[in-house]
Amino acid sequence: MTAHTVSSSSSPHRYVIIGNGVAGNQAAEGLRDRDPEGQVTIITNSRLLFYNRYRLPQLFLGHQDWRELLAHSVAHYQQRRIRVRRDSRVVGVDAVRRQVLLAHHEPVAYDTLLVATGGRWHLPEELADGRHLLHGFGSYEQALAVRDALPDRGTVVMLGGDMIGLDLARVLLTADCRVILVTHETTFWPHLVSPEQRAGHLACVQRMGIEVVDGDAMGGVVAIEPGSAGLPARRVRFRSGGDLYGDVVMPFYGLTPLVEFMVGSGVDIERGLLVSPMLRTSDPRIFAAGDVCQIWSEQAHAYRFYYGYQNVRAMGAVAALNMTGGDEHFSTTQDETLGQDAQGHIDSPFWVYD
Amino acid sequence: MSIMEKPVFVDVKLQEVRESGRLEYRSRALPTWCPGCGYFAIVEGVTHACNEMGIAQDQAVVVSGIGCSSRFPFFVNLFGFHTLHGRVLPVATGIKTANDTLTVIGVGGDGDGFAIGGGHIAHAAKRNVDMTYLLFDNGIYGLTKGQTSPLSAVGLRTSTSPFDNPERPLNPLLMVLAYGASWVGQAYAGRPDQLREMITQAIAHRGFSYLHILSPCVTFDKTSKTYVNLGMQVRDLPVGHDTGNRLVAMQQAEDLDNPAIGVYYQQLLPTLADTFDQVAARASGEAGV
Amino acid sequence: MTDIQIALCGSAGDGTIAAGDILRNAVAALGYRVICFDLYPPEIRGFGKCISRLRITAEQSYALKRQSDLLLSLDDSHAIPLVGEVRDDGAVVYESQPVAHCPEGSHMSGHVAPGQIPYGIPLRELAEKSTGGARSRNLVALGFIAGLLGLAPAAFQRVIEKKFAKQGAGVVARNLAGFQAGFAAGTTTFKLDDVVCAPPGSQPDQGKVVMLSGNAAVVQGCLDAELETFFGYPITPATSIMERLATALPKRGRRLLQTEDEISAMAATIGAGFAGARAATATSGPGLALMAEMLGLATMAEVPCVVFVSQRGGPSTGMPTKTEQSDLNAALYGSPGDSRRIVIAPTNVEGCYRCAGKAFEMAERYQTPVIVLLDLYLSNRYETVTLADAGSPFVLNANKPLRRLETGEIYRRYALTDDGISPRAVPGDAGCMHVITGLEHNELGRPDDREEVHEAMSRKRHDKLLAALQHPDFTVTKRFGHAGRVRVGMLAWGSTFGECLEAMFKAQAEGIACAAMKVVMLSPFPEQAVASFMDDCEVVLVPEVNHEGQFAHLVQGVLARPVVRLSRVPGAPMPVELILGEIRRLARGVVTAVAS
Repeated sequence: MTAHTVSSSSSPHRYVIIGNGVAGNQAAEGLRDRDPEGQVTIITNSRLLFYNRYRLPQLFLGHQDWRELLAHSVAHYQQRRIRVRRDSRVVGVDAVRRQVLLAHHEPVAYDTLLVATGGRWHLPEELADGRHLLHGFGSYEQALAVRDALPDRGTVVMLGGDMIGLDLARVLLTADCRVILVTHETTFWPHLVSPEQRAGHLACVQRMGIEVVDGDAMGGVVAIEPGSAGLPARRVRFRSGGDLYGDVVMPFYGLTPLVEFMVGSGVDIERGLLVSPMLRTSDPRIFAAGDVCQIWSEQAHAYRFYYGYQNVRAMGAVAALNMTGGDEHFSTTQDETLGQDAQGHIDSPFWVYD
Repeated sequence: MSIMEKPVFVDVKLQEVRESGRLEYRSRALPTWCPGCGYFAIVEGVTHACNEMGIAQDQAVVVSGIGCSSRFPFFVNLFGFHTLHGRVLPVATGIKTANDTLTVIGVGGDGDGFAIGGGHIAHAAKRNVDMTYLLFDNGIYGLTKGQTSPLSAVGLRTSTSPFDNPERPLNPLLMVLAYGASWVGQAYAGRPDQLREMITQAIAHRGFSYLHILSPCVTFDKTSKTYVNLGMQVRDLPVGHDTGNRLVAMQQAEDLDNPAIGVYYQQLLPTLADTFDQVAARASGEAGV
Repeated sequence: MTDIQIALCGSAGDGTIAAGDILRNAVAALGYRVICFDLYPPEIRGFGKCISRLRITAEQSYALKRQSDLLLSLDDSHAIPLVGEVRDDGAVVYESQPVAHCPEGSHMSGHVAPGQIPYGIPLRELAEKSTGGARSRNLVALGFIAGLLGLAPAAFQRVIEKKFAKQGAGVVARNLAGFQAGFAAGTTTFKLDDVVCAPPGSQPDQGKVVMLSGNAAVVQGCLDAELETFFGYPITPATSIMERLATALPKRGRRLLQTEDEISAMAATIGAGFAGARAATATSGPGLALMAEMLGLATMAEVPCVVFVSQRGGPSTGMPTKTEQSDLNAALYGSPGDSRRIVIAPTNVEGCYRCAGKAFEMAERYQTPVIVLLDLYLSNRYETVTLADAGSPFVLNANKPLRRLETGEIYRRYALTDDGISPRAVPGDAGCMHVITGLEHNELGRPDDREEVHEAMSRKRHDKLLAALQHPDFTVTKRFGHAGRVRVGMLAWGSTFGECLEAMFKAQAEGIACAAMKVVMLSPFPEQAVASFMDDCEVVLVPEVNHEGQFAHLVQGVLARPVVRLSRVPGAPMPVELILGEIRRLARGVVTAVAS
């Protein structure tokens, strides 16, 4: 039952972390502190070392070299002997053999595994055909692609409008862009907002300078198309027949946990990986942390997601403790209320990071 | 045929020699060989052959190695290259590569050719370098005063085999035939007229001609290859010997006890120069494509 | 200013060296200066490691760099050990879709250091999609690099067309398609590394720029000097000289013979030289040893001949595929007796060309063997070289003219003259019959071992060579760096001089007053030039790739002055950083006493 063997020098314990975000990197540091002899490996799809995606909107405030986004120096990884396998896609986890399988047909053996893959931008099924015409905002490369596609004083159409999108919108406005928000049930995700609060918040959004289009009233978005000659590059069509033009159309419908590769591993999955408050999955050697997991809440008597920089970082720390024999429960002090600032603009605790 | 048949008078002979033009091919240097050495006959043979064939003195090169026999170039009035021990053939190959029109005669002893230089004969034969190789076989190292050679007979006592030579000698003719030399013959210094004729034929052959010349060392070998012994042992090749049949030639070469004199084998094959021309033609043809 | 180094690595059969060849020719055509060095496996077939390294610069450079900016892996098992040579923010390009299962740790993605940028590219898949097979995977990779660096594809396409033309239109088309697919992938890949290839500088006004290996430059020099005969025996790393001449000489109606050994090669070269042909051979250390006796004959008989010696690791069979400078002693002294000959050593590929041609001039003019000392690093490395537009820069008949003989006069082959050089007749010259010999001889060439003859002839054979120190249009020594008095001076020969120059430039940039002298002519030794250089140096450093410090011995022996040795045998070029470290140490005043 126990996976809590701390390394001996003859056989270092192999900790493998899938995911190179806040949770994964926090866990890696914790593991190194707790087990100086252990082998710590982060596996990521990205070509870059860990960078803070909360800072991506700043790309629109003048050019920044990607190196300035990096959370840690190269020396950080070297000194802590944290291996980062970049540009490596995980296609499966074999819980019996205790191997992570990479797309290039290489297995990576683990003694204890942490899944911290986070989420990817969600897209309603009816928009799947127009996927290639949309600009995501999940990575540095995607953010730069948006910047390159956006002319001076260009127009960005935001579909949905979760808090990641609204964070970007704030910055785009200061960069003299026009932002059109097409509302959806996911607007303000992951805040849970009642209908009454919603109207007030939307008013705030308009006050900030964002144009708001009531998506539901238009029957919802049905298609994304290339713009015609002389018009902006993208056209958004509504079921009602109306349309909208923008240089860039960005989906902000919240995040979907990145768990496909865990199907077949045998661990319990609902939408995310189901974990105990100690962040252990149904496999004692596999833990999960961050946006990818749903944690059992005694209070709610249900599995639920916990978002936000603070929560995710706390999960990384707890996972590291428990992967090295600890017995810590995840707990949160995260404020989840959407509020307003002095200027009457919306202000979210999820925008806070350090 | 024998010189004993009719008396010869020295002044008549000298007159005949002077008139022949053969002396033009002799240098002013006097040979350093011992009186009675078989090699004198070889000098006579070469000068006679060159004279007979009308080879211009400045169009011929004698290449030698190191040994008694290899002093040869100094005693003829031709171009000469007294090279290193055993390297007659590769140097001669270089000369022929540089200038086909030269008549090239290699000379060397049995130690030079079959000990230190033994590796080269196969390749000169295989390439069919258009030259003549005269191998002076006295079965001993004479210049260094009497050591065993690879052609020394079993039982020969020398300064390096004081308990008598225990090794069997090589069979040089069998080797050269096996290497595919295109002209192979044997002569005996004790039969100068026949020797002269054989040298002429060897030089006339187009391709690599190998002439093995049995010759006594009158100073260091008193028991084995003496004039008396060789005179009794040598025989002519059988009448009607087929010079186009290498197996028959090899059969004759097998007999080391009674060495046969004459042309063992001859065949016309492309020479080294022919193969160079062929390669050049193919190369320029390809360049034109 | 562009200065990037690319390393390509794969196993034999991956097309690594071919990709390197295309890359260097294409970037040279684009106007960059290039230095390249390929490493082949000692094994003939199978899975040996091949590495092709190219340094691409706007201005001439003199050595490869320690760190590469980009590494391409066509076989991770070989390339993984090299990944450390890639600098931070440099790129590592590798196959992201290997066919077979990789055991853990066998894929490049697990070895890219945190500071390096990984580019896992589906090379095989791109090759299959674009060409229907995986064979053009190397071209896909090459295209990717060109795309990533933003190099113009047209130059590559021309090189590819030329390279594969002989194999037919199908092969050309396949490789072009592979390159194109890779190029497209390279231009669309998000570039995260900072490897930059700025447009090249201006082209030289005259001459044509060509890409040559050291051995190819030797061959070009031989051809421009109108070499007539060549004799050789295969030996690494000199073989490619013979291989190239085997094609080039017959096309010009000239002759090449592969002999049965090196003794024969040298013997035939001397035979041809005696017969009046311009003749040469090429070998490495072991072959030079076999030629030693013959070289002594050429000295004694005063026969012109040229020997190219490409050194490798020794002694004995040593390290045939590793570079070294340890045959200097053998080249200078490796024959019995007082057998001085001319020994010259080029320091770069252009020098290989010039030394090759000049060697024939010297051999003919001074009637002597001339050894041109190369090494594996110089033989196999490629550089952009500027050649004259037309005509040979070499004097094609340097023989001393032959006087017509008076009637009854005997030709004196070794006539004693003021300059020690006797008019040379060759077989075929009317009335000039003579015999040349390895025995000590008199003016006629007749054996003569009297004291006064041996004294006079020994003097003749030595003194006639001194004129080579003033040989027209030939760089015997050359000084680089600061003029006047310097803190540290370097004396270097052969390929190591390139590393010395690079180290010198870096030391100068650090404010150290230093200079470097290349010594191209090693025998006869340019005493005056070297002595006056040493007068200017507070301390003299002699870096060379051999264990004993053979050149340092030579300098100390001739001039009886102290030098500081830097002798290393890494089987590879001397690292620039090592030389630089030594310069810094010496500049600080730390001079180790040298036993002499």
